[in-house]
Amino acid sequence: MTQEISSLVDGELESPDADRAIKACCASAEGARAWHEYHLIGEALRHGAVGGTDVTGRVMGALASEPTVLAPRPSRVMGVARVALAAAASVATVAVVGWIGFTGTTAPTTPVVATSAPAGPGLDAGVTRPVNHTVSAPSADVHDYVAAHRQTVTSEHYRPVAATVPARP
Amino acid sequence: MRVGAARAWLPALALGFSTGALAQVSQDPLAWLQRAAAASRTANYSGTYVHTSGERTQTLRITHVMTNGDEHERIETLDGPRQEIVRRNDEMYCYLPDAKTIRLDRRVTARFFPSIFRAPAEALAQNYTLKLGKVERVVGHDCQWIRLDPKDGLRFAQRLCAETGSGLLIRAKTLNDRGQVIEQFTFTDLKLGSQVARGDVKSAFQARLHDWKTDPQPRDETRGAVTGWAILNPPAGFRQISEMRRTLPGRTLPVSQIVLSDGLASMSVFVEAAGLAPRSEGASEDGNTSFYVKPAGDHVVTVLGEVPVAAAQQAARAVSRRP
Repeated sequence: MTQEISSLVDGELESPDADRAIKACCASAEGARAWHEYHLIGEALRHGAVGGTDVTGRVMGALASEPTVLAPRPSRVMGVARVALAAAASVATVAVVGWIGFTGTTAPTTPVVATSAPAGPGLDAGVTRPVNHTVSAPSADVHDYVAAHRQTVTSEHYRPVAATVPARP
Repeated sequence: MRVGAARAWLPALALGFSTGALAQVSQDPLAWLQRAAAASRTANYSGTYVHTSGERTQTLRITHVMTNGDEHERIETLDGPRQEIVRRNDEMYCYLPDAKTIRLDRRVTARFFPSIFRAPAEALAQNYTLKLGKVERVVGHDCQWIRLDPKDGLRFAQRLCAETGSGLLIRAKTLNDRGQVIEQFTFTDLKLGSQVARGDVKSAFQARLHDWKTDPQPRDETRGAVTGWAILNPPAGFRQISEMRRTLPGRTLPVSQIVLSDGLASMSVFVEAAGLAPRSEGASEDGNTSFYVKPAGDHVVTVLGEVPVAAAQQAARAVSRRP
């Protein structure tokens, strides 16, 4: 059941399963605790607190005070792309945080938004090389891509589970 | 086939070179890389290292011990809230500060510096020109620099420094095409061999645990599912090392992910259904990480990796439906 709750937190369940998991999580003390803990863990992981470097807050602060780099016209979409790039630079943090966040048990369903860390100046010094196109944001927080990427490539040879664990019937 | 390709690298990684062959390998950069790869898995070591990328810095402590053929490793973050990862062979556990625990099952194993290789040294030699640099004293150890210069514009130069006795990497730098350091790992203290206290691999948190959170059920996203997409002509020197469909937060539909690597650098190619917003092709890079977005009909391709933007662009444009 805790597995189902975990999947629910991850937004991975189809609706009948989700209904069941939601009922379960409210019906028992164990379920409620699991629900709470999975969210807690997910929050800790996803917000970078675990790695000790709160990237998003600083980046969002920097974004507010700096012009866009790539796009010929300012746009809100650019902001998301730049958040992603700045976040991507914190390899160690995301490596420790990201792959656990996605492979362990949890990843919250809400996208990561900036937290209230102080803004750091000069964060985006490395964003360069304009191209002849605008960058549009992917459909969700690009931090997700960063985390997903780090998760797989921190392993020196990523192994699909099917290689070592028999598939379930 | 995909699994086969990934696994084909495993034996070479696992065997590598035994240590103590210093006399034979001393002039051969390829052999030094092999020693470095083997040492990261088989040597006993313990130390603190600093990872710098862009303006961000992270300090971690690692202890790695072989006991009765089992690999034990403990990673602890030293900056910010405490977090710990303990690994025994392929089994990994993560301990969080408040003693909430995630147990990771055998599906995924992660490696940290100094385990940086994703392919045997021979594969690296196809993509990088290997040269030995000088021997320097680094963090109190004699250290042999190994220079990896890219053979094309699709990857960054690497400078690796291997402790001469064990072959273990003490320092690793990534340089951009202007020779600037854009990422670095460096030990600030390092104990080797018998200096390492075996008890150091034991978790500091484990005793306080009251509750295990386990996740025994393999998830589809780590099963290496066929995504229906293929990178028909990947950037030179890159090969596919995994393929999966995964759920990302906030999405209703799964996202396909194909990971390419040249043995050191890697990138993920994501393909997903396009949303309502109009999209256009574009790219950016920051430090060693490039990001490329390309619309493809009713889908969107997003490439992200530690590669020059040219490599990300090639990968994005090589995506097509699996024939």
